[in-house]
Parts: sequence; C-alpha cells; structure tokens
Amino acid sequence: MNEMELRFKANLVNESLARNAIISFVACLNPTLEQISELKTIISEAVSNAIIHGYKLNPERDVIIKASIEKETLTLMIIDYGVGIDDVERARKPSFTTRPDLERAGMGLSIIDSLSDEFDIKSVVGMGTKLFIKKSLSTTKSEIYGNC
Amino acid sequence: MNDGIKIVPFEDGLTIKIFGELDSYHVLGYKEKICFEMRRYQPTRLLWDLKKVTLFDSAGIGLILGRYNEIRKVNGICGFLPLTAYTRKIVNLTGLSSIMSEYKSISEFKKEGKVTL
Repeated sequence: MNEMELRFKANLVNESLARNAIISFVACLNPTLEQISELKTIISEAVSNAIIHGYKLNPERDVIIKASIEKETLTLMIIDYGVGIDDVERARKPSFTTRPDLERAGMGLSIIDSLSDEFDIKSVVGMGTKLFIKKSLSTTKSEIYGNC
Repeated sequence: MNDGIKIVPFEDGLTIKIFGELDSYHVLGYKEKICFEMRRYQPTRLLWDLKKVTLFDSAGIGLILGRYNEIRKVNGICGFLPLTAYTRKIVNLTGLSSIMSEYKSISEFKKEGKVTL
C-alpha cells in the first residue's frame, strides 16, 4: 500500500494543485487518459464542494486530502471542517445546490457518484464533511489499445 | 496547455471556444468575458467548442446552463461542436445533452439552428 496526505488553503486556485498531486500519485498505475480525466473531475468536484459549500469560500480554512493505493484501487478522503451538510441524501440529488447565486449546477456529488466505483459522505452540521471515494484504475489491454 | 477562452461572433451568434481547464476557478473569469460579449452582440445562438477542454466539471456545466437560460429568453438556441469522449460523458451524465445538441460544424449549426424572431 502507498499513502499520501495533502493540506492546502480553501482557495479555488488550489483545485489544480489537488488534481495534479493526485494524478502524480497514481501515475505508477499507468492509468488511461480517460481514467485520468475522470479522476480529475472527481477531485475537482470534491475539492470545490469543500471550498464553496463547506467553507463558504473562506481562504483561511484548510482542505485535507488523504489518498492511498492498494493493488489497483485508489481511495480518497476529502475532508473539510466547515458547516457540514444537514441532509446528505438531498445533497446527493442532481440539481440540488445551496449556491444558485454562483450558478452552481448542483450536480457535483452526483457526478462523483457516477464516475467513481464507491462513494460515501459523512457529515455533521457545524463539524464538517468527509467524502470517501474509491476508483479502480486497472486497465486491460483492450482498453489501452482499443482505439488502435 | 494554456487555459483560455476565445469568443468569435458570427451573424446572430457567438462561438465560444474554451482551452484547458474549465473548473470553478476559471469559470469566474470566463463568465464575465462571455456576458460582456453577449451584451455587446446580443446573440440568439451560442455554439460551444470544448474540443480542447482538459478538465470539465459541474462549474462548467453551470456556466453553460446559465448562458442557455439567457439565450432561451430570446427564443434562441445553444449547441456544441463535436465533443470528445470525455466531455460528452459529462454532458450526458448531467442531462445537458437533452437540451443542447452536438453539431458537426459551425455551418451545420447555422443551418440547423436558424432562429426566426
């Protein structure tokens, strides 16, 4: 097993830092371009959820990402100690957003759900939110050479 | 790849080409630029070119959906130039494909998307 941890300020500019760090971390698994793109979207959604909804764009707060690789599966935990989610089931529904003013599509959590193999949310109001995500990065030869 | 946006007017529409990452951070600046050009040209058609997009998430979906809602107010239409497998997957996942079609070229969009006011 390999593990890493990343802590950064809740600033939207740090979304790309988070994406690039995790993509570098999984590079040893030789993921396909499609898997990399999907993983980047997952991280982007999870981190922006922490920054925009958890911390209400307060750049003084910290977002933490814990990642581990076991065999060919990446496990991610994205943690914020922000406002929390009072109704997790409602938050997971497509088109639900607490920030229509920012033109949020309200689809972030459902996109994570669709692109990952396992997805769970633990949240306590006033304490924060942890997103648990698993994504298999195994590849078959047909996936690699599929377009040749 | 450098991130960026290029907006090109045509007849009664705009083509919006995005390069690189279309995330929450970049969307803030892009929205301002697109709204500026929409006020300037008052288009009834918007055509998105996402061929060079390397990161697409719900912030990008929100940007496109927001402009779609504005264009619908003038009975206009929005569409996409050919999407990549990745961007098409996000467009399909979020249901955007049910309200916006993909067009092979600008000329096909101009023909199909002719708006009569």
